[in-house]
Amino acid sequence: MENNKIAFGKRPKNPLHRRVWKDMLRDWKRYLMICIMLVVTIGFVSGMYVANNSMLNTLDINVDAMKREDGHFLLSKKADEAALKAICSGELADVPTVYRERAYKEAADEVEKAVNDALEEKVEEQVKEAIKTQVTAAVDEQINSAKAMGAAVSDAELESMISSAYDTAIAENYDKAYREALKSAKSSEDYSKALADAIDEAKKEINKEIDDKYDELADRYGLNDKFDAVPVTVYELFYKDTNEALPSDSNYSGTIRVYGQRSDIDLYDILKGRAPQNENEILIDRMHADNANIKVGDTISVGNKDFQVVGLAAFVDYSALYESNTDTMFDALTFDIGMTTDEGFEQIRANTNANYAFTYDHKPADEYEEKTLSENFLKALITQTAVSDTEDLEIKDYVPSYANQALTFANDDIGKDKVMGEILLYILTAVLAFIFAVTISTTLEQESSVIGTLRASGYTRGELLRYYMSAPLLIVIIASVIGNALGYTVFKKIVADMYYSSYSLPGFETLWTPEAFIRTTLVPIVLMLIINLIVITKTLKLSPLRFLKHDLKQKKRKKAIRLPKWKFFQRFRIRVFMQNIPNYLMLFVGITFVMLLITMAVGMPETLSYYQDSMGDMAFAEDQIILSSTEDDDGNTITTNTDGAERFSIASLQRKSDAYNEEVAIYGIIENSRYVKLNSCDDNSVYISRAFSEKYNVNIGDTITLSEKYEHKDYKWKVYDIYDYSAGVAVFMNNEQFNRIFEKDTDDFSGYISDNKITDISKEYIAKEITSQDMMKVADQLDHSMGSYMTYFQYVCFIVAAIILYLLTKIIIEKNERSISMTKILGYENGEIASIYLVPTAVVVFFSEFLALYIGYKLMAFFWKLIMMKMSGWFAFILPASGFVKEFLLVFAAYLLITVIDFIRIRKIPKVLALKNME
Amino acid sequence: MSNEERKFLEVRELKKSFGSGDTRQEVLKGLDFTVAKGEFCVLLGPSGSGKSTLLNILGGIDSADSGEIFINGDKLAEMSEKNLTGYRRKHLGYVFQMYNLIPNLNVKENIETGAYLSDKPLDIDELLKILGLYEHRHKLPNQLSGGQQQRVSIGRAIVKNPDILLCDEPTGALDYKTSKEILQLIEEVNKKYGNTIIMVTHNEAIKQMADHVIKLRDGKIRHDIINKEKLTAAEIEW
Repeated sequence: MENNKIAFGKRPKNPLHRRVWKDMLRDWKRYLMICIMLVVTIGFVSGMYVANNSMLNTLDINVDAMKREDGHFLLSKKADEAALKAICSGELADVPTVYRERAYKEAADEVEKAVNDALEEKVEEQVKEAIKTQVTAAVDEQINSAKAMGAAVSDAELESMISSAYDTAIAENYDKAYREALKSAKSSEDYSKALADAIDEAKKEINKEIDDKYDELADRYGLNDKFDAVPVTVYELFYKDTNEALPSDSNYSGTIRVYGQRSDIDLYDILKGRAPQNENEILIDRMHADNANIKVGDTISVGNKDFQVVGLAAFVDYSALYESNTDTMFDALTFDIGMTTDEGFEQIRANTNANYAFTYDHKPADEYEEKTLSENFLKALITQTAVSDTEDLEIKDYVPSYANQALTFANDDIGKDKVMGEILLYILTAVLAFIFAVTISTTLEQESSVIGTLRASGYTRGELLRYYMSAPLLIVIIASVIGNALGYTVFKKIVADMYYSSYSLPGFETLWTPEAFIRTTLVPIVLMLIINLIVITKTLKLSPLRFLKHDLKQKKRKKAIRLPKWKFFQRFRIRVFMQNIPNYLMLFVGITFVMLLITMAVGMPETLSYYQDSMGDMAFAEDQIILSSTEDDDGNTITTNTDGAERFSIASLQRKSDAYNEEVAIYGIIENSRYVKLNSCDDNSVYISRAFSEKYNVNIGDTITLSEKYEHKDYKWKVYDIYDYSAGVAVFMNNEQFNRIFEKDTDDFSGYISDNKITDISKEYIAKEITSQDMMKVADQLDHSMGSYMTYFQYVCFIVAAIILYLLTKIIIEKNERSISMTKILGYENGEIASIYLVPTAVVVFFSEFLALYIGYKLMAFFWKLIMMKMSGWFAFILPASGFVKEFLLVFAAYLLITVIDFIRIRKIPKVLALKNME
Repeated sequence: MSNEERKFLEVRELKKSFGSGDTRQEVLKGLDFTVAKGEFCVLLGPSGSGKSTLLNILGGIDSADSGEIFINGDKLAEMSEKNLTGYRRKHLGYVFQMYNLIPNLNVKENIETGAYLSDKPLDIDELLKILGLYEHRHKLPNQLSGGQQQRVSIGRAIVKNPDILLCDEPTGALDYKTSKEILQLIEEVNKKYGNTIIMVTHNEAIKQMADHVIKLRDGKIRHDIINKEKLTAAEIEW
């Protein structure tokens, strides 16, 4: 040390930076677990975003590219050229004028005929009277001459003479006389005046009637409101609904809606094969084909005719296979869409539905404008159909595209999934961030003296904060990068496949989605940053001296809590428990989170299978037939001889709300019905279904307001009672009450219900048949779309539960490593030590599970209701006792697995640890 | 030595107590002393005499109830938390009885944690040689003996070439031989780099190698002696 010259070096880079990597390497299991969980979640959510965004973008592009309709309407029959031209104009038809002219014309003829009839009768009488007078006078003269000559004429002879003379006179002169008299009468002023008066009177009556009716109509449809013409282009898009059968599967029975060749509107994306080229070929929906296992080259029966499937496609107007827009759920299992050539279409023997698609000539700028356009066009359509020369032309259905579930459901659902995935990601990130924070605060405790020394040496809080924040942030960043990379590759495909298994979607191109990157990278980073920042900053605020003294407790416990005189081990465990309360709280939060996921994974299939099993029992009758007309072609009322069949009425109203306009079925039931047993109530009271009551929280005595769909007409009813029917949102009332309320004839009805299948009504009169099988469609489709994923999801939940439990129990053991080591030195055996340190955790897990079960169930029921409020129909979230047991066991099994690892961990703690210098 | 040089560190009327009410205990009862620049000062006293508390206050990691501390003319009490950290960073080096090394950083890296704090740190390799740790520089702390670990901790404190090196019982956990080696090292460091060293110890023998000995008992200075005939670390025995 003779050389006193001081050598200076360069300031090194912060060695703590290097330590971050070393820390991560040292504790690689924990970091790896957290990283994997984040990678999978971020990857999945990113994949969801990418797939969603790309898919939605494709659907958006396809609106133009595939010439998607702006809406469609179904007429009772094919409209003539003139009617279509008028509809295309989008102008309101002058209904009163047209009706008046028609009525006048009809009335004028009738009035004239009536006046003429009366006149003719009068003239005839007058002419005949005149002739009789003349004849009588002539005969009298002849008799008088004869009497003067002495001839005797009896009265009988006189009568006979007059009669014979009268007959001769009538035969010879009447016609001429009548014609002349009639001619002269008709040319008289009196006649003209009488006729004009009669016509005027008739017109007055007609005007009054038409004005009254039109006023009512105008009021209903807002025909007198401000109206701008909505010119549209209308396309014939006729279809036939008929049975679909698969020669390969005799058990299968479905419905197919077949269209003729599409070329100008509602095109399709062929995913496999080609378009039909002759009358024996058909292109069908890809989704349905997958479900029904139909391949290109297969033959299917469409009604009476066999077709060869030459291609599978996604039709732009059927991204979700809704048979009717009022169905609760689409049905890709038993409902199919097909397209054949026009010749092939002709050959299918089934009722042709006069469906017309339309596009607006001036595209609306936004959805509000679209709604206005749609409302205005409906007015034009109603009035133009009303004035059409085609006899009995009626609108059967009108569906603007924004309200068409077949078009919008997939879009909406894809959007909703994104939100769900995102929420899940944030919750999981928050849970992981908390785990990180707890881990770090344990590390801060363990490294207390090092931190104290570093702080005493002059390291700032900021420097230490940045150091301790580095690992969690690095993990999130790494997970984000890998997750996003997987999102664009693996998960995008998984998510897309999920959608392809529910919806009929076209092929799509992957789109760079900045939103995915931001949401799956920035948000988790910020979450991780904030949560860790709060926890670490709180501890780092303490003075260096407190770190040096290992005095990190924010609140000092003045005295140790006294415990009752229990056995030593018991007290030891309680001490361990009390010492780890913050960690146990974290454990509880983690278990609750996992339980929420598991409730979803277990509850959804349970709910669906419950409805699948009980839907048949829920239906009040096995078969419901709604007639298109209650009279047959000969004007006779359609009847059925089916045993137990009853007449019933049905109407559809809407329960309007900001969130969702629910379609409510209104049933009119005959008195003493064997299917729906109602007590009589007054006209202002009704029964509502249990589903209605549960979904909208309506109880006996409450008032419900339902509205006509296309009219501004509301109905307010008091709830008389709740009818135990869970299969649909419905209102029940007596049939007579129904007919009074909806202003129908007293004996009016809509169809028949029966427990036996109704087979003796000709198909042409049946508008819709609902069997209990149909009601299960919803549950079947939901089960098909989600059920299989839920099983996988249960496994995922088990893994997540195990990882979270692993991470949290690891912290508890690490915190106690030194004490465990010390107890080993004292001579305790591994089993005893495990019973001290593992039993409190087991008890906490056990009780946490019960509480978490309840919270998870409540939360899930709440989320479920949120989802259901945006859908038509209602399923209550159902979790039977077995579901709770399954959930409990899943988590407990995960815990037991981790306990084994924990036990090994405890065994591995060396005795020397306690003797090592910590300070 | 001028009067100003003697007053490199000046403590006036320093008081400190812990607790409140009945349990209130006065640890420092008004201390006055000065330490010169480059001086090797030993704070001596039995357990509970307040020497560690004094050292912590001098190091800016604890605060006094009253009194003043000036270091090179700067008043310590007036410094904000941030300035105190800066003060420690620039001017102080700390050595504790426990070495408090970062377990997963090797010897060199542990010393670098100190070097990083200085704009002009000592040459680490040379320092490692002085510390006798050059060949162990890639080892982790748990591969070293207690004495070696303490050397690392001294290295970490000294590498930023602090004005004052505060040592709190640096040999407290070491055996005789190792203790002597550490004392020799501190002595060498003091000589070579000229840092002021304030060392807390209860080992009476160490006072022989100090320039300045302050003896505390019951929170008061009992003796404040300038040692004119100091021995080298090698010469002292206990």
